Formats: sequence, structure tokens, C-alpha cells
Amino acid sequence: MAYSFPEEVLEHVFSFIHTDKDRNAISVVCKSWYEVERWSRRRVFVGNCYAVSPGIVIRRFPELRSVALKGKPHFADFNLVPEGWGGNVFPWIATMTRAYPMLEELRLKRMVVTDESLELISRSFKNFKVLVLFSCEGFSTDGLAAIAANCRNLRELDLRESEVDDLSGHWLTHFPDSCTSLVSLNISCLGSEVSFSALERLVGRCPNLRTLRLNRAVPLERLPNLLHRAPQLVELGTGAYTAEPRPEVFSSLEGAFANCKELKSLSGFWDVVPDYLPSIYSICSGITSLNLSYATIQSPDLVKLVTQCPNLQRLWVLDYIEDSGLEALAAHCKDLQELRVFPSEPYGAEPNVALTEQGLVSVSEGCPKLHSVLYFCRQMTNAALVSIAKNRPNMTRFRLCILEPETPDYQTMEPLDVGFGAIVEHCKELRRLSLSGLLTDRMFDYIGTHAKKLEMLSVAFAGDSDLGLHHVLSGCESLRKLEIRDCPWGDKALLANAAKLETMRSLWMSSCSVSYGACKLLGQKMPRLNVEVIDERGPPDSRPESCLVEKLYIYRSVAGPRLDMPSFVRTMDEDSELRLS
Amino acid sequence: MITLRSSDGETFDIDEVVAVEMQTIKHMMEDGCAESVIPVLNVTGKILAKVIDFCKKHVESAKAEELKAWDANFIKVNQATLYDLIMAANYLDCKSLLDLTCQTVADMIKGKSPEEIRGIFNIKNDFTPEEEEEIRRANQWAFE
Repeated sequence: MAYSFPEEVLEHVFSFIHTDKDRNAISVVCKSWYEVERWSRRRVFVGNCYAVSPGIVIRRFPELRSVALKGKPHFADFNLVPEGWGGNVFPWIATMTRAYPMLEELRLKRMVVTDESLELISRSFKNFKVLVLFSCEGFSTDGLAAIAANCRNLRELDLRESEVDDLSGHWLTHFPDSCTSLVSLNISCLGSEVSFSALERLVGRCPNLRTLRLNRAVPLERLPNLLHRAPQLVELGTGAYTAEPRPEVFSSLEGAFANCKELKSLSGFWDVVPDYLPSIYSICSGITSLNLSYATIQSPDLVKLVTQCPNLQRLWVLDYIEDSGLEALAAHCKDLQELRVFPSEPYGAEPNVALTEQGLVSVSEGCPKLHSVLYFCRQMTNAALVSIAKNRPNMTRFRLCILEPETPDYQTMEPLDVGFGAIVEHCKELRRLSLSGLLTDRMFDYIGTHAKKLEMLSVAFAGDSDLGLHHVLSGCESLRKLEIRDCPWGDKALLANAAKLETMRSLWMSSCSVSYGACKLLGQKMPRLNVEVIDERGPPDSRPESCLVEKLYIYRSVAGPRLDMPSFVRTMDEDSELRLS
Repeated sequence: MITLRSSDGETFDIDEVVAVEMQTIKHMMEDGCAESVIPVLNVTGKILAKVIDFCKKHVESAKAEELKAWDANFIKVNQATLYDLIMAANYLDCKSLLDLTCQTVADMIKGKSPEEIRGIFNIKNDFTPEEEEEIRRANQWAFE
């Protein structure tokens, strides 16, 4: 018996189906399902803005309300992507103003957003509610003023880690008195002082505000007033947590915090003075997320704080916590799921803190739910990595950053192949891995053999020959993103695994051994891949074909080669020969 | 009291307060059809009985948790019955029943591949291989 649902019923069924995977699955079932699905889809996530064009998106999905876009490759975070590379959101905004007047949400990551784009957003979408600019750049506080002034129903304005041309803090006053809809405001990346009275009034008139991340320029003395106006806050980012030690300031803070019984997440704490930390103790038992990556305090003070938080699930902290602090963490915070330890002095020649591999081993032993790790350190052993792997087979994200490239096991002077090999072998759910230290091709053989669920791999200064790259590309079935720098990997493995590249979102290779000739060949062989050579030395065909390219970014696309490339980015497709001459 | 008659001639006496849970019936009552028996042409007696059960329960009970458990049990029916219930809920315009039945169908779809979905609902794939390939490619490359 065939089940033929009327369109309105199908639409109603689809209204309960939300994930991208499920929506994509139902779109392929048959023609009528494809039609109903595309008219009823309300949100898309575009993981690579150049994999598709705005035109294709609006033609397929005429009624979107929520769009998420990602632009630059991840290595842009380490300044490896030159200025002017691309990822400009304006063409998308311009297209969407015509197609989606009812657009409500825009979430952008690593994109270039100009004031012109922000002004266009603020004027074009009457029901605009959510703007998240994660690691974006290209705009100033003037653009923010337009958003504040014109988006009458704004619920979320989140500028996390964006680079903003901070002309003045005056933009905040552009929120009209009638704006009471804010649920989330994150201005932590801004440098200048915002108008405090405007901020207080804004916070006070938004009863649904649950997330408030202030910037450093909001002084500690101003915090109690803000908290009293928003006792319902769930997530708070303080400003600078420093002041002269004064009992009345302390008790004012303490009282304000005690009133915020819903608080679960804390961040900020720039310039924190240890004497003021106890002011938050009363709410620590409810805290599940703590970001102390700007808190330059020493281990004993960190330990005192962290041990007050038995329900902690996520901790981001500087390496001042040291091994002893991590041991205390392991003993007290049994619900810990995610740990990130950042380096306080990454460019120092000598270690400035007593943080070693032992800290991570302690946490892996003591915290049964730990599954996500980012750990910067200066030394590691295979034995420690094997311990960690055996302790935590539930690991899903493991990023280890040994500061000095090609550092071996400091006890045996061996490569770290065996240690990382244990990680991929025991942690069968591993989805993301960043490697560091001295690694040979054997490591990549382990990865290709075991890391079957791995989706994202980051490699730097590792491997001996093309065999390493070949192991990864031929073995890692679930691989979506591969980013490589300074590895002796090149033409042979790349060309032998050309077809694999169509199953991945993207491949980044910089300072490797890929020749211009191989790039051209790859571009011709795989017309649906955009093979982009990034070379600031001038046109690549002014050099011999065997010459190595500086940087290479390869990604699959249904939109063909991109049309907005700067002069230092060239696409290697069939026509490239003609166009370059 | 209102009397409904199913497509196969079965009659059901129900309270007005239960009848108005079905918007279609409510409109017919407002149009003055309440005096005589209201024919429910597209729904068999077997299914109409179930729909009425549902509406009665939802009128009587206010406790959300109790209703949720009852609904979960109510909807444990075979696929043919589920289909008939959806069509009835749609025709009778009974929102809470439509939500429940559509959510149940949605749950059957979640996490499945297109082939599996086609199998469950016995749907013919009317795409050409090229058409299907093109959509799959766009889905995976652009929209995931």
C-alpha cells in the first residue's frame, strides 16, 4: 500500500523535522517531497560559502528565515590566510534582501562584513532577530549603530571574537527605548567604553536577557548595578575584574551575585585581582561553564575558585593552573566534559609554569565524562598519551599543541607516533584531532587504519613523505576537513587521491611540497573542485611548473570557480590556462 | 449532544464540548447542521471512534504529563491506522491529533536514508538517476 499524503499534511510532518541531514534525506525521496521540502525549509547551514552561490540557495529555498555561513578556512585564525582573500558577505546580503524580506537570523563565521552590509541588514529585514558574527571582521561600531537603531525585534547580537573598528562606544545608545526584546548581547571583543547609563537602561528594560558578555572596559564597580537589573541572567561575561581592595565594593558585588540564582556560565575576568574572586563563590555550585582564559592569576587562586564548582562541565583556563591545579580539578569536578588550557607565554623560550603532560593525564584519569580537549604544553611522552587514550576512550575532540614544532617524547627521544596512535586506536568516536610534536609517516598509517570517524584533522611539521598524506586520504572514511602546514607532502599523494577530495569539504596545504604543475593537473582532472593556489609572489606561470606553491586551498563546489578572487588567488580549472595568459 | 455518522454508517453521540475539538464539525455546527446527524464522509467508523476517544480524553484531562503518556499509548497503532488517523485529523481539523500523528510520522523518518524512507511509505522514486545525483550533491556539498 502506498502512503500518499496531501501536501499540507506533508508540510506538517516536515515541520517536525529539523536537522540538515534529515531535511536533505527527505528532499531526495521523490519529486513531490522535494518540492514540499524546499518550500518549507526555514534554515540552512552553508559550511563553505564558496561551495554554493547565493543565487542557487534562493532558487532552491524560497522561504528561508535563518542562514548560517562560514567563510575563511580555519587556518585564518593563525594568520595563514592573506588579507583580502575573500569571504565577503555582501553579495549574500544583497541577494537575500530581495529573496528573503522575512529573514530573521544570520550567523556568520570568519567572514568579512562591512558597515554597508550591516546597514543593509538593518534596513531590509523587518523581522530581523539574531545576528551572530563569530571571528568576523571588516565592520566598525557605525555598522553596529545601524543594527541597534533599526532592528526593532532584535533578540541576539553576538560579536564573539570579531575584529571591530571601534570608533566609539556611542553606538549602544542607538538602541531605542522601545527595544525590550534582547535575549543575548555579547560585546566582549570591543575595546572602547560603551555608555554605561545606556547599557544599564538597556539591560534593565530587557526582561528576557539571559546572556550578557561585557567588554573589558566595563569596570568592576559598575557590575553590581547591571546584575541587579538582570537577576535572571544565565550567562555572564564580566569586564575587567579589578579594583582597589574596598570592602563596600566587595560586599556590593557579593550581594549582586548572590541574587543571580540562574547563573550557569561565567567569563571575562580580565586583570582579575584574587581578593575579589570570593565575591562569586555563592553561585559557584550552579556554574557549569567557566572561561578564565583572560584571568592571569596563579594556580592557588585558580584552584580555590575551581574547587568551588563541583558541577563544572566546561573549563577554559591559562596554563597558570599548572599540573597541581589540574589534579585538584580532577578531584573536584567529576562532571567535566571539556577542558582548554591556553599558553600564557607561547613565545617564551623557557617554560614559565609547571604545566606538563601530567596535568592532562590527571584530568583524563579523574574526569570520566571528559571528551573534548585543547591543551597547549611544552613536553609530552608516548606513555602519557597512551594513558590518556586508555583512560578516555570516549574522547571526541583532541587537540594537543606542543609549542615547539617536531618535539619528540622528552624521555625516550622517540617520535610521538605510538602515543597519538593509541589515541586514534582507543578513541573510536574521535571526530576532531590536532597533532603536534615529532611524527613520522607511521603515525599517519595509524590514523588511516583506525580513525574511521575522524572528520577534521590538523597537521603541522609532521611526516616524512607523501605516504603520510596518502594514508590519511585513503584511510579516513569520514574526513571532511584536512588542514596541513609545513609537511613534506606533495604531488603524488594528492593526485593519487584526487577523487577523495570530492568527498570532503576542503583541504588546506601551506608550505608543503605541492608543485604548480600538479595543481593544474588536479584542476583539469577534477572540474568540480575549486583548486585555488594562493601565491603572493606573483603569477605562478612566471615560474617553472615544478615550482612549489605557497598555499593551496581545495574545496568542492556546485557553483564553479569563484568570481571574486584577489590577484594572489588563482583557480586551476580547465580554462585557467587561457585566462592566465 | 451531537450525532456523527461515519462513512460506513456507524453513528456516534458526543457532547458538544468534545465535538468542537474538531474544527470542521465546529464550523458545521455554527452553520446550523447540529440538529440532524452530521455525516463524516471521509472517515470510517473504526477510525472515527478513535478520534472521538482522543478528543474526549483531551477535553477531560488537563494534566500535561498524563495526557502525554496517554497519547504515547494511543498512537501505538499499525501504519495503516496511523495513516487513516492523519487523514481523519486533517479532514476534521483536529490540531492536537494532527500534531501527534504528524510528529509520529516525523519520528519514523528521522535518521533514515532516502531509500529507507521510500521503503517505509512505499514511495516510488520518480527522479532520474542524474536528477537524484544532482540533488544529493547539492545537499552534501552545499547544505551540510
